[in-house]
Amino acid sequence: MGKLKNFWQLSLALAKTQFKLRNEGSYLGILWYLLNPLLMFILLLFIFSSSLGSAVPNYPLYLLLGVVMFNFFQQITSFSIRTMDENRLIVKSINFSRESLVASNVLRTLFAHLFEIVLFFIIALFFGVSLKGIIFYIPILLLFSIFIYGASLILSSLYVYFIDIENIWLFFSRLLFFATPIFYSVSSGKLFILNLFNPVYYFITIARELIIYNRLPEFWLIFGSLIYSLAFFVVGSSMFSKMKDKFAELI
Amino acid sequence: MERIIVDNAGKKFKIGFIKSQSALARLVSLLSGREPKKIIWALKDVSLKINPQEVVGIIGENGSGKSTLLRCISKIYKTDAGKIKTNGKIISLIGLDIGMQHRLTMKDNIYLCCSLFGLSRQEIKQKFDSVIKFSELQQFVNTKLYQFSEGMKQRLAFSIAVHCEPEILLLDEVFEVGDEKFKEKSANKIKELVKKGVSVILVSHNLSIIEKHCDRAILLAKGSIKKEGKTKEVLRAYENK
Repeated sequence: MGKLKNFWQLSLALAKTQFKLRNEGSYLGILWYLLNPLLMFILLLFIFSSSLGSAVPNYPLYLLLGVVMFNFFQQITSFSIRTMDENRLIVKSINFSRESLVASNVLRTLFAHLFEIVLFFIIALFFGVSLKGIIFYIPILLLFSIFIYGASLILSSLYVYFIDIENIWLFFSRLLFFATPIFYSVSSGKLFILNLFNPVYYFITIARELIIYNRLPEFWLIFGSLIYSLAFFVVGSSMFSKMKDKFAELI
Repeated sequence: MERIIVDNAGKKFKIGFIKSQSALARLVSLLSGREPKKIIWALKDVSLKINPQEVVGIIGENGSGKSTLLRCISKIYKTDAGKIKTNGKIISLIGLDIGMQHRLTMKDNIYLCCSLFGLSRQEIKQKFDSVIKFSELQQFVNTKLYQFSEGMKQRLAFSIAVHCEPEILLLDEVFEVGDEKFKEKSANKIKELVKKGVSVILVSHNLSIIEKHCDRAILLAKGSIKKEGKTKEVLRAYENK
């Protein structure tokens, strides 16, 4: 229990540091966190609202929730992939929990994500959508964060041994953005089957069902999100723990 | 009970080197970005024991394995041969890289570094004033570190390390930092910690520091212990080699 508390406190301290460093000296500060998903949302809304989005009820909210959730996933994984290398001086000097570097990326992005959710909330009010389901976003976000933490552990440990993973991930995450129903909807066909193997699809769909449409998601979606969270957490943790012994000498 | 037991420890690294290759092999290396590597043993059959209240100096030329030994003791590196057993909380100050961020204030850095050394937020709050007082940097609490001189940063790092409740303190070229007054103060602090049972390993190229503070010394050369014993004898062996 004491170890877990120390891990949490160290992750939080590192997250605060990274957050302060990112905003240090910036005039717009925290607004930069909103700018990227907001611009992406406006652009996609402008292009697709009358074509791909015409059949989707509450399309602006459907799109915005997809964009901010995918952005959350993409930001954490891209911060985490180089995190050992970027912190090489402390990794080579102090014996501390290396996992906390990855956890700190989740925490600082989580903080920024809260602003995106506030933005979503404001836009939902603007469109007159009932937000009774917003309370369910807390457990969804928790499961989603566990899944992303696991995926980030895998990526950050692989990067130390195999530097090309950064470019592969850059390409793959772009591909995933288009393969995931973020600006379009999918309920059958090849793309639907493909998305059954895409963990991000489960979390985004559940969030949309509960928050925008106030419907209970189908059981297999909830089950899938639980399984993916658990699987990525277990695989990521064990992989990281096996590979971390060599981090300090390889970076 | 010994604080540190190093039993036939060995550590190897793969390092890049220039190899005479055919033109095709050189082209493959260039395109793949992979360079030829060979294995070197940075530590070989190193055995030592360090007791509580002992100050041990490690000397040797650059590349002799001093910092590697400290990293193995503090479990930053995993040994490839032998065993290392430690009893007590280790605080390592290896080249001042204790996670200090130059774009953050001294206050933020104290919280960050103490967290890295395993202190809880409550413990840091309790020790905060004492860290600042010891470093004698009271008027710079909210100043960012890039505006500090090297000496000020060293004083801060040393002050943080000695306040993080070490039972084993590993100092790599980070002792007797700052001005004369601070040097004396840090030496007294080390003596105070040692009296309380702390074991200290000092790595330094400054032989007078080793002579002044260490009960015994170890001479490392090419990853192996060449001489171990009373400080004066080991220093003589190093100077006469």
